[in-house]
Amino acid sequence: MEKTGLIFFPAFDWAISPTHPEREERLLYTRDQIFEEGVMDLPQIKEFAPRLATLHDIARTHFCVPRVQSQVTEAHLIAAGSTLQMGDSLISKEIKNGFALVRPPGHHAMRVVHGNRGFCSINNEAILVEYLRRRHGIKKVAIVDSDAHHGDGTQDIFYHDPDVLFISFHQDGRTIFPGTGFTHELGGPGAYAKTLNVPLPPGTSDETFLYVVDNLILPVLNDFKPDIIINSAGQDNHYTDPLGSMRFTARAYADFTSKLKPHLAVLEGGYAIESALPYVNLAIILALAGEDYSYVMEPDYWPGRFQESQDRLAQVKKMVDKLLETWENRDKADIQKIFGTGKYYQKKKFIYYDTDYIEEEQFEKVRVCPDCPGYIIIESRGDRGYKQPVRIFAVSVPFQACNACQNEAYEIYDEAKNKKDFDYIYMQDKSTDTCISFDKKKGQEWVTEG
Amino acid sequence: MYIGIDVGGTCTDAVLLDNGLVRATAKVPTGSNDILTSLLNALDQIMKGVPAELIDRVVFSTTLITNFIVERKYDPVGLILIPGPGLSHVHYRYKTDTYIISGAIDYRGREIMPLRFDEIENAVVDLLNKDYKKVAVVGKFSVRNNKHEIEVAEVLKKYCPECHVEMGHQVSGRLSFPRRVVSTMLTCATRDKYSYFMDSVKEAMARRGITGSVFILKADGGTMPLGKETCVPIETIFSGPAASTLGVQALIPPGETSVVVDIGGTTTDLALILSGQPLLAARGATVYDQLTQVRALAVKSVPVGGDSIVERVGKEIVVYSERLGAPFCLGGPMPTPTDALRVLGLTSVGNEDKAREAMESLGKPLGMSCYDVANHITNLVIDIIIKEIDAMFLQWEQEPAYRVWEVLQKRKERPRIVVGVGGGAAGFITKIAAKIGCYPVIPPYAPVANAIGAAVALPTLQVSLRADTEQGYYTIEEEGFQGQIAKERFTEEDALTLANDWIKKRAKKYGLTMNIEKTEVTRRDVFTMVRNWVTTGRIYDICVQTPRGIMGHIGSRGDF
Ligand SMILES: [Zn+2]
Ligand SMILES: [Zn+2]
Repeated sequence: MEKTGLIFFPAFDWAISPTHPEREERLLYTRDQIFEEGVMDLPQIKEFAPRLATLHDIARTHFCVPRVQSQVTEAHLIAAGSTLQMGDSLISKEIKNGFALVRPPGHHAMRVVHGNRGFCSINNEAILVEYLRRRHGIKKVAIVDSDAHHGDGTQDIFYHDPDVLFISFHQDGRTIFPGTGFTHELGGPGAYAKTLNVPLPPGTSDETFLYVVDNLILPVLNDFKPDIIINSAGQDNHYTDPLGSMRFTARAYADFTSKLKPHLAVLEGGYAIESALPYVNLAIILALAGEDYSYVMEPDYWPGRFQESQDRLAQVKKMVDKLLETWENRDKADIQKIFGTGKYYQKKKFIYYDTDYIEEEQFEKVRVCPDCPGYIIIESRGDRGYKQPVRIFAVSVPFQACNACQNEAYEIYDEAKNKKDFDYIYMQDKSTDTCISFDKKKGQEWVTEG
Repeated sequence: MYIGIDVGGTCTDAVLLDNGLVRATAKVPTGSNDILTSLLNALDQIMKGVPAELIDRVVFSTTLITNFIVERKYDPVGLILIPGPGLSHVHYRYKTDTYIISGAIDYRGREIMPLRFDEIENAVVDLLNKDYKKVAVVGKFSVRNNKHEIEVAEVLKKYCPECHVEMGHQVSGRLSFPRRVVSTMLTCATRDKYSYFMDSVKEAMARRGITGSVFILKADGGTMPLGKETCVPIETIFSGPAASTLGVQALIPPGETSVVVDIGGTTTDLALILSGQPLLAARGATVYDQLTQVRALAVKSVPVGGDSIVERVGKEIVVYSERLGAPFCLGGPMPTPTDALRVLGLTSVGNEDKAREAMESLGKPLGMSCYDVANHITNLVIDIIIKEIDAMFLQWEQEPAYRVWEVLQKRKERPRIVVGVGGGAAGFITKIAAKIGCYPVIPPYAPVANAIGAAVALPTLQVSLRADTEQGYYTIEEEGFQGQIAKERFTEEDALTLANDWIKKRAKKYGLTMNIEKTEVTRRDVFTMVRNWVTTGRIYDICVQTPRGIMGHIGSRGDF
């Protein structure tokens, strides 16, 4: 029998703070529900033990400032490691699909990590993707983010990567953290239209949700033909969520899951810990396992409770048409006209860390190269307000790097070590799986290899 | 002096322990309809010349309940289930009349869907019309709020006062509705059989003038005083394997990590002792494909044994899981692993010439000598067992963990010794041990290890308390109890104190005089409830238990 893998790691002894939404209680009622239903005993479910990710697994994806161990707790390593375990089990064909029902979440964590933002420190899905590519030779991955908040961290990490398709639908960024995820954010010059954002108006309910799935997400995936589909399974689009203002139901989440058929789902947000999570998680698990989920229902729901406004639906239909057009014409797009000419494409970013009150100023440069996606150079300054800002310089070489880009990148790294404007210098070479970090003050360099 | 008696399906084994030494052993056949006679026979054999007043304690273990379940020798049990929303109701089809009625409770014990009286009445009347005298009533989340189960049970009692009604929350307080259904059904089915067993034991004690305390072994290796109110009958299922494992624990040096291999006629039971402590199964016991909530030692039954059939299929020799009778060397119809051992001189059971004949019949078409065939067969059996031993350790390492500390303390452990018990053990143990780099041990008294295990077993008490200060109630899993939280500000310390009070209360209820001052906390979860940015309450999930262990090790001349 084809199995659905499940790692349930509720981290009952870990919280950001005792009253923070990311606290011990978050998955307590989900535990109660799935245990009482006997889900772990279903013949098609296989429960796995959580495991720890290595520091190198993190360094392959992030630039943690100053070092990985200063940004992650053991709980983060377990959440990331459990996600990797699901990946391994999928590749070994032990399971047909899997769900890392773990916390803490990760989709707001970007390539550079100065601290925690949006309850996230490291990006579980991104770490998984880089691991699958490095360890298992996976080429093309699609990530579909169904959290109410824009998956800005995942978008940031794969913005210039043509082999990772990132689709996020979420509550309109003008009305919710992190304030991004608009239709014009479509990926960098080397990965145009490989990022797609569907900002939905507050109050959107199931009908529109599933319209987007059927008319945009599924056709695009069908076109892209990824080796693996990952779902960032945030649940704060639920009609009872205290942070979001959307009106999705558990049933619709299950319908979405059975349509999308993700190989791996990873829990993200969702803070209606009593009224939504027990039901949504149960519904998602049953949908993954191909079980009947029609008996799953929130206690306060009745069919027809939410009527979609036809205006809203029409508005979203228009947006979907436009995105679909962009997708279909992606190869005909005039990249130079959109992104300019020059050796590098560069962008200035301001990033706010709402959990840790850090302001980051970032200058990102991508080498525009005809032979590969090009290396990325980042200069970043993290300001905590009460002490000296931390300045870093980082170079990231992609998996698909050409020889010339790789050589250039190392030269740039070596040069940067001599510049006095930076406290820490990093080199992340995904093509050889080598991560180097240099501490200017100590004059010390650390190298890890996978 | 202590007595241990294991009442098995075919044999009743007994031992008398005196000052840490085995003073007498007995093995008598179990009478199918007369347990009393076999009990008396066994007692007479081990108590020769010992005055009954010197017996401080008798502990029983039995597989009788398991056998009743396997052979389906029980009256039919009707089911009334209250599953509410969640998994599809097609999962709740059992081989008996099952009524699914409206009503639902959620994970916090709140009623989210009321019962419907007409549905209850219809179900009850229907069951009575079909002549059911035993009914199990089980609701989803009834362990958080037993109101629905009690209401249905009351209707049943009203219509049929003489009916035996069993409620889910009384049988098992742990989460898992499907397992609770099975556990409640089996409890309902076997309670009178258990009473019969209890009465036979009491009668035997009385007839032999034994006035010491009498206990029964549970599947988790702890004991409880023998009494109607103290034990749910299905807690005794699998106390047979638990007895053997405890026996081995008593027969090997303390602190060892070992594999217990009990090779029988058709099955081999495997158990693990990790650093001196028998491993508990992560989930409830499985009783012949039925998942229950019974806390049990992790015992794995492998379908291979001394009497398994061996056949040649084409160019291959295959060991099957079936038994067709005794080994060839003992007059049976087919070659078996026992014949192989006989040829290799690893056992002295049976006729050697017959054994050779069996091996030759297999080997001739393949051009193999009878010695080669015998070697090959033992290796096949050993490989099957070793594969399962590895799988057991792997499964233990991969048990889920829900807390950071649990993940961090995960360790790898490998056995140092392989302990053989059971009839077929001797021939295989040395070879198994050699293959996995362990020392083989076949302890003295191995054939009555089960009775020794019963004799050294100790009472254990556990209390799992879940207190929800926002809802203002708490539950005690082991007692099916639900009560109000009296205090205004109920702290973690209060919760711990309450749990320890319940340990004392349970000890008193069961007349246990054990040391209950020294309890260990095995779970201590605190969940702060925050609603709209305000802390509204706490959930304490606490488990305390008296230390697990045995009275002492045989031969250590302890004071037991
Ligand atoms: Zn979110
Ligand atoms: Zn290049």
